[in-house]
Amino acid sequence: MIKQDNATIIWNRSLAGTVYSMGLTCSSAYQSAVPGQFVMVQTNKDLQPLLRRPFSISSIVGNQQLPKAIELLYKVVGKGTGRLSGLKPGQQLSLLGPLGKGFAIDPRRQTHYLAAGGIGVAPIRFLAQYMKSIGIDTSCIRVFIGGQSQDDLLCQADFEALGIRATITTDDGSAGDQCLITDPLAQAVQKHPPDMVYACGPRGMLACVAGIARQYNVACQVSIETMMACGIGACLGCAVQLSQEGQSYLHACLDGPVFDAKLLAL
Amino acid sequence: MTTCDLSVNIGGLELKNPVLTASGTFGYAKEFETIFDLNRLGGIIVKGLSLMPSKGNAPPRIVETSCGMLNAIGLENAGLDAFISDKLPFLKNLKTPVLANIYGTGIEAYAELAARLNDIEGISAIEVNISCPNVKEGGIAFGANASTAGKVTEAVRKNYQGPLIVKLSPNVTDITCIAKSVQDSGADAVSLINTITAMAVDIHTRRPKLANITGGLSGPAIKPVAVRMVWQTAQAINIPIIGVGGIMTAGDALEFIIAGASAVQVGTANFVNPLAAIEIIEGIEAYLAQQSLTSVRSLIGCLQV
Repeated sequence: MIKQDNATIIWNRSLAGTVYSMGLTCSSAYQSAVPGQFVMVQTNKDLQPLLRRPFSISSIVGNQQLPKAIELLYKVVGKGTGRLSGLKPGQQLSLLGPLGKGFAIDPRRQTHYLAAGGIGVAPIRFLAQYMKSIGIDTSCIRVFIGGQSQDDLLCQADFEALGIRATITTDDGSAGDQCLITDPLAQAVQKHPPDMVYACGPRGMLACVAGIARQYNVACQVSIETMMACGIGACLGCAVQLSQEGQSYLHACLDGPVFDAKLLAL
Repeated sequence: MTTCDLSVNIGGLELKNPVLTASGTFGYAKEFETIFDLNRLGGIIVKGLSLMPSKGNAPPRIVETSCGMLNAIGLENAGLDAFISDKLPFLKNLKTPVLANIYGTGIEAYAELAARLNDIEGISAIEVNISCPNVKEGGIAFGANASTAGKVTEAVRKNYQGPLIVKLSPNVTDITCIAKSVQDSGADAVSLINTITAMAVDIHTRRPKLANITGGLSGPAIKPVAVRMVWQTAQAINIPIIGVGGIMTAGDALEFIIAGASAVQVGTANFVNPLAAIEIIEGIEAYLAQQSLTSVRSLIGCLQV
């Protein structure tokens, strides 16, 4: 159920470079939150910037029945995230959520590959946590994390702590192999095709992941980012282009942000 | 507790308070159902309706600008039949008036929509959109000219017995001429302003930020323009005006009412703060109490110049 809450900041710290982790108190509405869902955050009551900003939930603190807090990961890119980075524990933020449709997870599936590009790791991290909580054997999960440089490689230790093997790459070679994350992903999919690929990251990366999945006939879900004003299906601003021409648009806030990759024109 | 009277009458439509939600910013109301009690609203104007389904414009459809946003949604909607079967049953159960906003690709389409809505229960009034800047046919094509605006109004009036509101565009040389024309053609009220045609450029790609190239500017940036137009129009016509454009707070709403609006619509603010309309109602009530006024009606058009 969607609720607007005044959430209190519990922590707000830099993870690396301009990437931050923020913990916020949450209501019981988040009992039903699933990976891939997001919240709309009002970054400034003074309306500068005007619109809320969407952020994927990156983890839930406490257990699913009694959520104590949600964690958001964000990269400072503009006014809104700049303002967020200056906030202190104890201050409040207006939170609208949980929103959207998350990843469809079938626990009977054998192997799961997770792919994250940069800050796109946020919902993937929650996905890994959630998969473990519903009893999926984490040795059957692999995660592929890519970034521009070492500072953009996030949460590697969190995945490893869950027992998930992580493969990392960077564009500049400062950590892992110097290549795109889709290179080792393609090799792994070819060698040991998983039952499902789950991905979040820049559009170019998602297009490439979808292409790999199509090539090896593997099911694939992607979480996409779009411009969005309301987050609840009122503005229809977040229209998503579909792969089949002539079809009407879907909307990232209601039909997504997670989609079957085959549906989308990425 | 106060005993202020917030009720207003808009061309025969009784509202318990003067705050409506603007078309295209509040979906079909159900989207806000879990966030607050919808029955507290003065009224709800649902997303623009056409006879046939319309898929709207290609993305990107929105972009934020200084103190505002541009949109070029393109009036995406599932059409009248789907509205009646899928959306109306929920709306009928609300205890606040629901207004349908309609647009057509030709005068005949407006007339047919009006006739069909005249015969269904659960719609308290219609707002005729002759001012959408984001569709090639319909919308602004009819609202930019006093004569065509009058003809659309006349065609709708013939087929619709309930309160008839016409939503006007600011993208005209003199909005008062259009207002007079629709008044003379049978409108019971006018609402103004729709969005202001605008655009934004991405300097890195040297492309427009919206796929539609141009869009409609809304939000706090347009409020002073809207207040000016409401005030000018209030001098020119004698049917009620619903003020709309950048209203974020009760203070903003009161500016419109003092300038001559009998009611207001809250639009972009619904995205920023889903409780905006409720907070505006409470704020107007508090203002009346503080000013020792018993009715909001005493404020309408009280501007001293």
